[in-house]
Amino acid sequence: MARKDRPIGAIARAGYARAAGLIPMMLFLVVFFIGPLLVNFSQSFAGPGTMFREYRRIFTDGYYLLVIFQTVLLGCAVTIGCLVLGYPLGMAIARASGRLKAALMFAVVAPLLVNVVVRSFGWMVILGNQGVVNWIGSALGLAPLELMYTWWGITIALVHVLLPFMALSIASVLEGIDPRLEEAAKVLGANAFNALRLVLLPLSFEGIVTGSILVFTATVGSFVTIMLLGNASTMVLPLLIYQQLTVVSDWAFAAAMGTTLLVLVATLLWVQARFMRPGWRQARTV
Amino acid sequence: MSRGLLAYSIGIVVFLAAPIVIVVGVAFTSADFVSFPPTGVSLRWFKRVISDPEFLGPLWNSAKLGVTSTFVSLALAVPAALALVRHRFRLGAAIQAFMLSPLSLPTIILAVGLLFFVARIGLAGTFLALVAGHAVITVPYVLRTVLAVYSGVNREVEEAATVLGAGPFRAFWHITLPLIMPGVLAGAIFSFLLSFDEVPVALLLSAPDTTTLPVSILSYLVYNYDPAVAAVSALQVAVIFVLLLVLERTFGLQRVMFTSSNK
Repeated sequence: MARKDRPIGAIARAGYARAAGLIPMMLFLVVFFIGPLLVNFSQSFAGPGTMFREYRRIFTDGYYLLVIFQTVLLGCAVTIGCLVLGYPLGMAIARASGRLKAALMFAVVAPLLVNVVVRSFGWMVILGNQGVVNWIGSALGLAPLELMYTWWGITIALVHVLLPFMALSIASVLEGIDPRLEEAAKVLGANAFNALRLVLLPLSFEGIVTGSILVFTATVGSFVTIMLLGNASTMVLPLLIYQQLTVVSDWAFAAAMGTTLLVLVATLLWVQARFMRPGWRQARTV
Repeated sequence: MSRGLLAYSIGIVVFLAAPIVIVVGVAFTSADFVSFPPTGVSLRWFKRVISDPEFLGPLWNSAKLGVTSTFVSLALAVPAALALVRHRFRLGAAIQAFMLSPLSLPTIILAVGLLFFVARIGLAGTFLALVAGHAVITVPYVLRTVLAVYSGVNREVEEAATVLGAGPFRAFWHITLPLIMPGVLAGAIFSFLLSFDEVPVALLLSAPDTTTLPVSILSYLVYNYDPAVAAVSALQVAVIFVLLLVLERTFGLQRVMFTSSNK
């Protein structure tokens, strides 16, 4: 009987040993991920004065409201830019095959892994007053463009940084769509635009939402690109947090702005989770 | 693929490559200032950079930090992935979502929180604080790649080993680990690259003697604007490309990048 028991018992014991494998990562994340977020939250109440003083400062001062508004607006602009440029790119990745696909993947993923500092420096060289754009422009007899230290320059650079995320999110959804659906639409008389509008776009909606949320949250949290390509007039929330920490040393205020940014991002992710409920898409397609 | 789409893709690839190609181009200039197209070709800025302790120290720090946080991530994520795939947890999906959630959080928020946190527990300015911060960022990636590979592994192979008398560690070492190796390797390389590139956490948590390479490039760039930055950037680009080619060979880029949206 003992012999018969042994293997099954061993499998069960191995199962418990495996279940315990969850513990180290769980503990680590609770301490070093949840811990800092909680400390940040409590720090935002640690300043002198009345309760919620820091939050009242953020939401009653015109300047801070402007900074929040600019942050959200930049997030929207970069998301739209990435969507417009990224959808066809995602389509190209999904449809390519063999070596062309590998090459395309490499070209899209490689920039993603090059440091943001390096890429922003590249954009400084391109967009600067004596930069590549104006060098080409002057050769063509055009008036010099002011792109450095403007929202235009920042938006272009951020679209460059985040475009791969959008293209890959869209490509991964498009790959799962049967190409015959689009062909069927065309056979039944839809032109290319209508086939895209009525067949591909609704089916790839999930990829669009995933990519957009990814790009938006990354934009409202990015600060290296804006630090290098912007100036005091292009202030955003992450940069303001950094300044409050390093220049002004107002920890409570920085923490309150950090919490504000966190709530902004968390709200979006919550909306995404609601939108992505399994039943939702079916309800729409009926 | 239609001609129009192909032409468009080529245009976008040029756009994506432009700033990187230009930085590498500027690095080979012989001029004293940043200019493109470069005026004359020389290696003088590379020579300056590889003898400059201002960059060499941070390069060493970055490498050390990348390797350490990668090993920490592996030690945490591999057992967690095994547990998530093979054990039926009541809240399995929720646990997995929580473990991947650092991916969705802007790192600046984590960096600010960590800054306050390590100050309270007396780790401010230490290498350990940097490792913890980077491991929070990299561990979900390792978890993701290992999960992707391990969910395709047939559990009967492991059960056979156990039935035949192998203990849990022996079964892991001889059976499971070789099977999940592609995921482990891809996760490790990805994790190293992420740590090697990371700015917000390193910027806020590092002390002068633990500064990382991207942070030192950033602060150099804020005060100086000369081709030395381009040369050190070009060296970094070279490191990343070599690792990326290894990643493509061992695992396939597509699998690393696409596993995210399926989870």
